[in-house]
Amino acid sequence: MSATPTPDTGASREPLPPPASGPPDLEVRTGSFRPSHLIPFVPALVPTALLIAIVVELLISSKFTNFGLAFWGPHWIPSPSTGAPTFGIAVFITGSFLTAIPALLLALLIGIGIAVASTSYLPRWLTRWLDPFVDLLAGIPSIVYGIWGYLLVAPFFGTVINPVIYHNFHWVPGFGAPAPAVEGVGLPVAIFILMLMALPITTLLIRDALRAVPRDLWEAGLGLGATRWETTRRVAIPYAMRGIVSAGFLGFGRAFGETVMVAMVLNVVPAFPLNFYSGTSTMAAEMFTQLDSAYGNGQFLAALSEMALVLLAISLVVNIVGRRLISRFATYDVPGL
Amino acid sequence: MALPSSTPETGQDLLFDRSGRTQWRLGFDRAAGWLLPLLFLVAIIPILDLVYYVGAQALPTLSLAVITNTNPRDPYALGVPIESTVEVMLWATAVAVALGLFGGVATAEFLGERAAGWMRMSANLLVGTPSVVLGYFGYFALVLGLGWGLSFVAGATTLAFFMTPYIFRVTDLAYSSIPRPIREAALGAGARPYQYVVKVAAPIAFPQILNGVFLAVAIGVGETAPIVLTSTHSVIVPPTLFSPVTFLTAAIWLNFSQPPGPALALAFQAAFLVLIVVVALNIVVRIISARYQKRLEGLYQ
Repeated sequence: MSATPTPDTGASREPLPPPASGPPDLEVRTGSFRPSHLIPFVPALVPTALLIAIVVELLISSKFTNFGLAFWGPHWIPSPSTGAPTFGIAVFITGSFLTAIPALLLALLIGIGIAVASTSYLPRWLTRWLDPFVDLLAGIPSIVYGIWGYLLVAPFFGTVINPVIYHNFHWVPGFGAPAPAVEGVGLPVAIFILMLMALPITTLLIRDALRAVPRDLWEAGLGLGATRWETTRRVAIPYAMRGIVSAGFLGFGRAFGETVMVAMVLNVVPAFPLNFYSGTSTMAAEMFTQLDSAYGNGQFLAALSEMALVLLAISLVVNIVGRRLISRFATYDVPGL
Repeated sequence: MALPSSTPETGQDLLFDRSGRTQWRLGFDRAAGWLLPLLFLVAIIPILDLVYYVGAQALPTLSLAVITNTNPRDPYALGVPIESTVEVMLWATAVAVALGLFGGVATAEFLGERAAGWMRMSANLLVGTPSVVLGYFGYFALVLGLGWGLSFVAGATTLAFFMTPYIFRVTDLAYSSIPRPIREAALGAGARPYQYVVKVAAPIAFPQILNGVFLAVAIGVGETAPIVLTSTHSVIVPPTLFSPVTFLTAAIWLNFSQPPGPALALAFQAAFLVLIVVVALNIVVRIISARYQKRLEGLYQ
């Protein structure tokens, strides 16, 4: 071989191997299968495994105790002075819905308003400063909401808002006697703060949905002479309806599972509410506050686990529906979303 | 020839409809333009009020001496919950990063679309799971099941489970959103998959993953139920893994309904610290996220 490169004429190449029969071997990169190739897949199972583990563990700790129909009944007497304990969770299911649904409806209405203002009316430079405030509501820990709600908002409701409602609407069933207490803890405060906690989720999802409305549709609406409001109302909101419904489900999930804040401001008592101003209990708050007293009491623990399963089941259904409605999320930066 | 601006018979304005209905429509639109933005106040007033109230209650009693007070004979020493929180968060973040990071990378890089969809859905559902349910899981599985007792390790691990899906999702998103040509270039140049993951993709994905860790820490620090249910109150920093541990939020939960005094002061100090940390982390997350988006857009050009 000389030092100077000679032009490759092709004559010196080795002859090509004979063509293989059958399909070509595509396993060039990975080679043949070895069990070690499964290793990367193991950590990927973490979320599903955790979810399954939670369900299985709660099932095990409930010891599959069958409380019968009484489990859905209204009597929750875990440690009676005489006789057998009764575990009925109707009070807590009612309480959970009674706090979460009004809070969600308020959060949806206000969320739609904020999202419309942000997408249709306000200039971009202003929303860049205003939108983060709403998102920041999601980041505030529920215990901080709780201490603020218990010591500041509840007395405000007890001395100002509840008396005004009572004074004007005491003839409406559910809003009458007994008169609201000045401490103010009870349903209205819980609903108000739950609304604040669900608000960032609903607002963000609705805002995303409205921003995803094609520009052509906006321009067509405005070009036909509709006002901004009419375009929003008749073009953008119908187009964004899936996002809005999804916001409803996910906001509901957030309000429904809220624990510590509710336990602090709801005046938790395991009974149906006497009226609009009184306390009641939710599934999450009851589970949170009662685990201590259940220690060593097998049936009580089993009942609480089954309540946890009910809460988990409802949350899962609500979240699955809410997530399926929209294909992707614009952000993971907001806690709880 | 100029167009007529009104019909001769009725005098109705053709170019500018000045009928009452149109006036009403325009007026409604204008009113909406003024009233709807006022709804922002529903969010802004509470958030400012909350920060102001907690700050005003906490700041007068807060000093360096209070923060560093870890005297075990003082039941209201703020230093103990601070130190405990730092230790719990270190443990919880380490576990959550270990689970979430590997899980996210594996999901984004090694799973098929269908399986990855399942994992993502599970992570989303875990995020939507009420924290009290996770607390129960920790209580039954770790405290009773594994016999760890109401302890540091049970509490911190439960908190880690709570934080894991956040880190998982962000890691998965960061790896999935790396432009495909970069991946093809790396693999085409002969990189093994793990070389691509570690040497090519990791530097690109790192800011967003760090962001996710910050977010998870912000969420973990503010969480109460998982740690209160799986640990019990302690006035000292836990000496061993299996000792009970307190937490900033647990200190609030214990003391928020006390009459004014050192107990309530401790609750407010703890609330203020948690609030500051969480809000600061949330703002940092937003800033990094915005910058990262720009950088990622740059990669596509």
